Amino acid sequence: MELAKIEALLDSYFEGTTTLDQEAMLRSYFEKEPIAPHLEHYKPLFNGLQDAQKENLTRKIVFPKATTSIRKWWYGIAAGLVIAIGIAGFQFSKSGLSTEEKEALAAFEKSKKALLLLSENFNEGAEDLAMLQQFTKTKNQILK
Amino acid sequence: MKQQEFINTVLPFKDKLFRLARRILVSTDEAEDAVQEVYLRLWKGKKKIETYKNTEAFAMTMTKNYCLDRLKSKQASNLKIVHSNYQTSENLERRIEANDGVALVFKIMDTLPEQQKLVLQLRDVEQFEFSEIAAMLESNETAVRVALSRARKTVREALIKKHNYGIS
Repeated sequence: MELAKIEALLDSYFEGTTTLDQEAMLRSYFEKEPIAPHLEHYKPLFNGLQDAQKENLTRKIVFPKATTSIRKWWYGIAAGLVIAIGIAGFQFSKSGLSTEEKEALAAFEKSKKALLLLSENFNEGAEDLAMLQQFTKTKNQILK
Repeated sequence: MKQQEFINTVLPFKDKLFRLARRILVSTDEAEDAVQEVYLRLWKGKKKIETYKNTEAFAMTMTKNYCLDRLKSKQASNLKIVHSNYQTSENLERRIEANDGVALVFKIMDTLPEQQKLVLQLRDVEQFEFSEIAAMLESNETAVRVALSRARKTVREALIKKHNYGIS
């Protein structure tokens, strides 16, 4: 590249008006030999700034493990299970009759039987009453 | 956002964050800590990341602010920044800075005011556009250009001085 152009670029470089492309041109000029003697002292500037870009982070970045969300999942599942077991247990205990309920049921059956017996006997009694009615009728016929 | 997806978004510019942090904090260790911290913060705020237009610029701004805060709190507690990294660090930077001229540029850069140092780093090292730099530094393009011009001129003066003394 012509020296005049480089000098012009340098001027605008120090005014902060060069574009990235123009700055790349300057860097590539100072990378290669030969450099015009009166521009020699700019060499460390461009080479140094370029070399600065080679400096890399050597330590490994640690990110927190993404386990928190998974753990939350497990908490959810565990809580769900506990609730499900609770409800299921409640339901089962309900369907199997407790001793008290069994006793009540037995008492109910017994009283039903007793009432049935009572009504049978009552009906028998009622039949007898029909006979009594016949008796009354006949008695009325005789004793007019 | 899945973690892998997040890492793929934010990890490509880790070196840029590191270099920026190192420009401000000087110490490599401090800079590494800072980058780690910035990534943790990004991860915590990952839901918001999708709403930012430019994640990289956002991360750069975050790094800049975090490092400047660190620097301030250190100065407040009267601790000196250790410059020993220039000599002791064993990796690439040694190779780079073994080159006198290059080390010189770094040293000159360290003497620049904060804003100029950052602009020079972002423009001449990372080669960002002015609009991007303005966004990262929460400034405007004109101010960035002015700061950049001053920074470049200061470096030039220092280089010419050294050159003329023949010390470089």
